[in-house]
Amino acid sequence: MSSPTVSPPQAQATSECAVDVSDLSIVYGSRTNPTVVVDGASFTIKAGSTLALVGESGSGKSTVANALLGHLRSGARLARGDVEVCGKRVLELSEPALRAFRGTDIALVPQNAGHALTPSMRIGKQMGELPALTTLGPDERQRRVEQALAQVDLPRSFARRYPHQLSGGQQQRVGIAMALLVSPKVLVLDEPTTGLDVSTQRGILSLLRELSRELLTATAIVSHDLGVVAAMADDVLVLQHGRQLEHQPTDLLFSKPQSEHTKELLKAVPRLTGDLAPSAGSVIDATTSDTRRAPLLKIDDLIIRYGARDGPAAVDGVSLELARGQVLAIVGESGSGKSTLALALAGLLKTSSGQVQVLTTGSGDSLAGDLTRAAGKRPRDLRRRVQMIFQNADTSLNPRREVSSAIRRPIRFFGTAAGRSLDEAVLATTEDVRLPTQLLTRLPGQLSGGQRQRVGIARGLAAQPDMLIADEITTALDVSVQDAILALLDELRRERDLGCLFISHDLAVVRKIADHVVVLHQGRIVEQGPIAAVFAGPNHPYTADLFNSTLEPDPVLARPVLDHARTERDLDTLAGGPDDLGADALAGFDWLPAEGVVDLGGGHLVSRWSLSARTPAEGTV
Amino acid sequence: MSATNTSATNTSPTASQTRSRAVWNAIRGSRVTTIGCVLILLHVLIALAAPLLTPFNPVANDSPNALMGATWQHWAGTDQYGRDVLARTLYGGRYALIVSLFATAAAVGLGTILGCVAALRGGWFDAVLMRLLDGILAVPAILALLVVVTALGTGTAIIVLAITIIYAPQVTRVVRAAAQNIVPLDYVSAARARGESWWSILTGELLPNVIDVVAVEVALRASWVVLVISSLSFLGFGANPPTPDWGLMVAENRAAMTVVPLATLAPIIALATLVLGLNMAADGLSKSFGVDKGKAAA
Repeated sequence: MSSPTVSPPQAQATSECAVDVSDLSIVYGSRTNPTVVVDGASFTIKAGSTLALVGESGSGKSTVANALLGHLRSGARLARGDVEVCGKRVLELSEPALRAFRGTDIALVPQNAGHALTPSMRIGKQMGELPALTTLGPDERQRRVEQALAQVDLPRSFARRYPHQLSGGQQQRVGIAMALLVSPKVLVLDEPTTGLDVSTQRGILSLLRELSRELLTATAIVSHDLGVVAAMADDVLVLQHGRQLEHQPTDLLFSKPQSEHTKELLKAVPRLTGDLAPSAGSVIDATTSDTRRAPLLKIDDLIIRYGARDGPAAVDGVSLELARGQVLAIVGESGSGKSTLALALAGLLKTSSGQVQVLTTGSGDSLAGDLTRAAGKRPRDLRRRVQMIFQNADTSLNPRREVSSAIRRPIRFFGTAAGRSLDEAVLATTEDVRLPTQLLTRLPGQLSGGQRQRVGIARGLAAQPDMLIADEITTALDVSVQDAILALLDELRRERDLGCLFISHDLAVVRKIADHVVVLHQGRIVEQGPIAAVFAGPNHPYTADLFNSTLEPDPVLARPVLDHARTERDLDTLAGGPDDLGADALAGFDWLPAEGVVDLGGGHLVSRWSLSARTPAEGTV
Repeated sequence: MSATNTSATNTSPTASQTRSRAVWNAIRGSRVTTIGCVLILLHVLIALAAPLLTPFNPVANDSPNALMGATWQHWAGTDQYGRDVLARTLYGGRYALIVSLFATAAAVGLGTILGCVAALRGGWFDAVLMRLLDGILAVPAILALLVVVTALGTGTAIIVLAITIIYAPQVTRVVRAAAQNIVPLDYVSAARARGESWWSILTGELLPNVIDVVAVEVALRASWVVLVISSLSFLGFGANPPTPDWGLMVAENRAAMTVVPLATLAPIIALATLVLGLNMAADGLSKSFGVDKGKAAA
């Protein structure tokens, strides 16, 4: 059953049906007035195949996934239907039977497996404590642990490490290794890569897919990300408000979606290729009218260090310019210094050296626009002109204060309106972000994620700024909500001629909103240019990697991404490095930063790089 | 979390409504809190309505009737000066309640502000302040109180001041810990980026989110303060004779304990029920606010 041979899944596994869910309905609340969260879901997952449960937040996808594990959240109960996994009716199992079932037949990889690791225990010891291993001798146990680590591409020495010595991606791999140690027949993945960098995501998804084929597990993957679904799943089940909208093979779903909801979802997903959505028509006028635009922000050789004066720089010699009405995207993975840059511009971090100027119209006072000073030392008018919008709307609004006070405060503080016109200004700002005004008296906890982010934008707009710093503002949102927020941001910058620094890790999102892109890697700019030029290539190898790692919502485009090796096509699209590059030369090599910049014309600049032998896998994801 | 989601879609109470309802639910929700609050309320009412509840003057001497046991006229007997014990017990809460009200308010108020500022400023300010407070915390409370009171006198203002100095550090520690969870959040960053003063960040962003911790601190510290004030009176540093006060009554009457046992027992019972009420309220509130789980935000 679990022989490690790679073979097409359908060939062996058609006989056994690992998961059979029929007419599953789950409700919350009282018997007289129940809230239905899952309404008649029916599906099967065969051994060796993968089913994706797709939907927006609140669609009931996680509830269904939990039901596979025999778990219902407190307050929830089964209204009708049945969940059968490996021949067991899991919702009728007793507690001890359920524990045994979870330890042997089924395993879960949660969204944040790192949080499930005990910080004070070495990885190997934690893995050895799994119920499936307790009966084994110490040597055999260690062998199994090392084998499981090898399966997820982690070196054996990791068994001696503590969880905090691992990166987020490595922790997620340990979570997968622990799930695999029980050799489950069914594997449930709950958003296994949300919150990870794109290249890490690529590694983990390809790993999971290989393993599920090798071990012939039936896999259920819960995701809101259609790119992940396209890369992973054989079949897709789309849920909305707990109802099953459609259930199709992945290829068919993406080529011929049946329901309106699926079509909208697919339309809302930002893509790397294809026609630009109408809302992003800005790209065209960006390139034509660039020269006429008034410059707004000028960063010159900015260096930001944490801690010691001679320590490594989080932002290392960054220079860039932003004009009024322009959206400049800053792209990079975690640790690239993009958020550090944002915080420094907002005056919340000290800069080490370099110049940052907001250009003032008219006045000759150079200090009036100096952004290297801390927020408290900037003139009030400068603080007003630069506003930041935060990534996580959950933590960027005071949970104990009404929505209106979040919007009213900056208006009053900066004195843009007072007295009776204060209330009018609050209402006007609320309407500007298309937020229903009756929500003003609510607390942030009573709003949806998208509404909260609108409040966050309104708070920034209320100060009447010239420039917005948007730090990953759509990362925590559903795709359709993300689409709406991006459209709003686009409208606002046109209406108000705002300059916008849009910080993101997602190139597809950036393509939708930005005019210019700056790619950061370890605090340095490796590539910058107008959106069209950067997306057309040729690119820096790091940018090319980001492109490759981005999962397109399209099974044909997403699957090849899972091969680790670079394709021939990629080689043609690299710029800035050794020109005499053969196809063999790049495999097994990494790039190193080198001095100098290649100008590809039209403002498209790529940093020079050189080749180096690829270091062994110890330190990677 | 799901509860807030559903309330957003269905009926939509405004923020202030939910706030007051949360407080009401917190008090009514657990039996412990309810009993605690009723006990406190009872003591306050008795202290206010004492003249209506007894015909006797608590400070009027009546030597012929000194040291009588319980009679139909004097339900709890009389003390060595012939004063009615019941009347003195009923009036006896006034001093303790008023002084504890001011002392608790001052200690918790100062502690809250110091705790928030320490969390907000951080760095050397936080470090120096905390070591200073550690120093105060290292001295036993009663000993420190006696030193202050002997040095400066026994006026009510001085006792309030002394208690503030003793208890503010403990409040500071608790509030600082709660505020430290709030300070790194983005809405505080937003206020900082706006250039708000530390005072408006404190009142606008921090205080609303640590107020449940502060509420529990008020109830908890109040019970300690009531005890400390009575101890001071017992030792002769608090209320001056002939003021009716529980601590003082115990001190005056303990020599005659075998003759008029109620003269010592009655103030003790009164004190015990008040402290019990305050403790129960603090316990119940901290449970329903989730403060004891180290969770401050909603």
